[in-house]
Amino acid sequence: MNKTIFQRGSAGHIRIHVLPTTRFKTFAVSLYAGIPLDSKTVTTTAITPFVLRRGTASYPETIQFREQLERLYGAGFGFDVYKRGNYQIVQFRMDTINDSFVQSEESLLSKSFAFLGEVVTKPVLDEGVFRSAYVASERENVRQKLESIINDKIRYAAERCLEEMFRNDPYRLHPLGQRSDLDGITPESLYEAYLNWLQQARLDLYVVGDTSLEEVQELVEKMFHLNRSASPDYAPEHSEIKPGEVRTVKEALDVNQGKLNLGLRTPITYGDERYASALLYSGILGSYPHSKLFMNVREKESLAYYAASRYDGHKGLMTIQSGIEIENYDKALRIIEEQLASMRGGEISELEMSQTKAMIRNSLLEMQDSAFEMIAYDFNRVLSGKDRPAEELLSQVERVTVKDVIGAAETFQLDTIYFLTGQKEG
Amino acid sequence: MEAITYDTLKETLYRETMDNGLQVYVLPKPGFQKTYATFSTKFGSIDNHFRVTGEEEISVPDGIAHFLEHKMFEEPEGDIFAKFASQGASANAFTSFDQTVYLFSATENIKDNLETLINFVQHPYFTDQNVEKEKGIIGQEIGMYRDNPDWRVYFGLIEAMYGVHPVHIDIAGTVESIGTITKETLYTCYNAFYHPSNMLLFIVGGVNAEEVFALVRENQARKEYQPQGPIARLFDEEPVAVHEKRRESKLAVALPKCLFGFKETKLGYSKEELLRRDLATKLALDLLLGASTRLYQKLYDLDLISDSFSHEYNSNPNYAFSAIGGDTKDPERLLQVITEEIKGVTETGLREEDFERARKKKIGGYLRMLNSPENIAHEFTRYHFRGGDFFEVLSVYESLTLDEVNTRLREHIDWEQLAVSLVVSP
Repeated sequence: MNKTIFQRGSAGHIRIHVLPTTRFKTFAVSLYAGIPLDSKTVTTTAITPFVLRRGTASYPETIQFREQLERLYGAGFGFDVYKRGNYQIVQFRMDTINDSFVQSEESLLSKSFAFLGEVVTKPVLDEGVFRSAYVASERENVRQKLESIINDKIRYAAERCLEEMFRNDPYRLHPLGQRSDLDGITPESLYEAYLNWLQQARLDLYVVGDTSLEEVQELVEKMFHLNRSASPDYAPEHSEIKPGEVRTVKEALDVNQGKLNLGLRTPITYGDERYASALLYSGILGSYPHSKLFMNVREKESLAYYAASRYDGHKGLMTIQSGIEIENYDKALRIIEEQLASMRGGEISELEMSQTKAMIRNSLLEMQDSAFEMIAYDFNRVLSGKDRPAEELLSQVERVTVKDVIGAAETFQLDTIYFLTGQKEG
Repeated sequence: MEAITYDTLKETLYRETMDNGLQVYVLPKPGFQKTYATFSTKFGSIDNHFRVTGEEEISVPDGIAHFLEHKMFEEPEGDIFAKFASQGASANAFTSFDQTVYLFSATENIKDNLETLINFVQHPYFTDQNVEKEKGIIGQEIGMYRDNPDWRVYFGLIEAMYGVHPVHIDIAGTVESIGTITKETLYTCYNAFYHPSNMLLFIVGGVNAEEVFALVRENQARKEYQPQGPIARLFDEEPVAVHEKRRESKLAVALPKCLFGFKETKLGYSKEELLRRDLATKLALDLLLGASTRLYQKLYDLDLISDSFSHEYNSNPNYAFSAIGGDTKDPERLLQVITEEIKGVTETGLREEDFERARKKKIGGYLRMLNSPENIAHEFTRYHFRGGDFFEVLSVYESLTLDEVNTRLREHIDWEQLAVSLVVSP
């Protein structure tokens, strides 16, 4: 395995991580801005990037803004707002063609930084605050996005399950915010929230491509107009588990297929020594087509098209999801619980171990072919404070024993059962 | 083995046709960890009526290509996913209108995985029992898509446009149609469409081309195939006019979904013309409706569209249509404004400056796509089965003229050919 070594530096209280390489046809740039999930700021933080992508000081009209991206050979520009552990992360991405493939008079990397720097730090202002038309329209846009979650029943059920499971924890919050906050947002209040966010957010800038740390540092100094006094660190999650009764929540909607979602808690988080064991646990249980959930719920019983588990090491949780015939609820739940019990009981074959290790190994190696995946993996290090390069995780995975997996299994506790059911059922 | 060099792309593609007719392509990506391989047959959901040279004409149940795809993964010794997992490969498959693709992605044991891919696809194993079992699983897959409003609005549009051509039939079929599938009908389709002369193997990644060809040659020489003549795909005549002007489905959605498009009147282009028409139309639609156009911004400012608004163009030698739209508060008003505005643009024509910018954007998007082995394999195969060459896309974009794109735009936007599909809450 090649060693993936990011060069680290900083400029203007932004941490900078650069991986110089000629393997790709583009420069991949990611800026992560994270603040603690908090009901007071979640909505303003969520709307901010939507307003920022409407116009900057140099490109005040949205059409000008988008035309500029097209001039940069259709540079990919986008952003996401999501949760990682107890943080709300806004991630800006740019993917710009390496100049050597096209005829460009000026460096496309430099132009991209000029663009991104303006987007984040020099928005178009009217009378010292955000342009009101942009705020009004993006507020409605976010409202529509929140209301549309229900359209995709798989995603809706997954989010409802987490919301129920963390009803007394900021993690219940949706990364796009709370609908009830939207009406109170004004150009003034949002601009003030934006300035605070820019001051307080943990900022990490990544670049993968044919460049150097020095070049990126210079570009950041020149193109990001920040007035920050510090660059705070992320505080990793330490998940406490209070054993309690399993809660079952059923919700009826007009659906053809029922969605059965389970939420489990574990104290094993990304920084834990047992992290590799937890990965194997979730892998054997349900991350792959050879896993117990797929083999038993789908292949043996023909109950579902999909039945899978997903482990989130930043929050210390695992979710299981499946789409089933509504009348098969009891049977599907029983089979899923049997798989959980069999994992705790150590019914784990050497073949399951070796297959799952091979799959994890493959995904860790494949990651190196994608600039954005390498960036995302390295960002785990920033988030958790745990420096564990991919090759180290790989060797830890290789060493995990069946006993270790049973040990991990014992820490996973079923917390919430959520079932999205049809309206016809009683 | 023949090498084709694309200097501007810095890529070299190798190809060879095996004695049994199988076409093999290899694209080495030096420095990449991963190898991605697709083994594809030109057999999709539209191929439900055909005649193999020298045999009888036959009609098969809707959804059979997709059903066959599911069943290929079963071998007498068990599920093939497990074998791939043991070899560290992640495997999958998908079926579309005109092709079925089997694939794996791996960083190790490439030769073993390649043998496994070729061998399992060239070894059907259907029993009455395993065919029956699959009906439950695919029934749930169909149920899942029925609850998905994006899928419903998309298929609603195709159903509105096409009354005869099987492109309007859901790729997975219906619970009723798959109910009639037997192992005999599966073998009939298998024998016709999985003959090597109807298939394409594409391998991209950190591989040595000569080694790959040696392996495939040797593997194919071990198997006996009788020569097979061409397969006549029989389509009843599709009227030029749209089947219905409008379709509406009921499903729980936050906002109505509105998708509209134009059914192409002229078909039967030559291979080169088809790729050119495809790209010219995509460019024209982007200039008309892309995020940097006045029309897009106007619709956004009127709160008639959101980020979900998009457009695509789907073309094949015997069907072609556009699909435009997204979530909207007011489908009628959206259609009204769009109709007025599009008429204005088609009259005045597209501007040179906008055309050059949009062309740059398309070229950038295409080069970015070449970072991804998955995209390269999928797009190459898709274009190939439709008679085009994916690696010619850049030179076609470079040679397109404004006149050509304006002509294409006026030809495609034919209001007689408009169909609309809606999904609204019950």
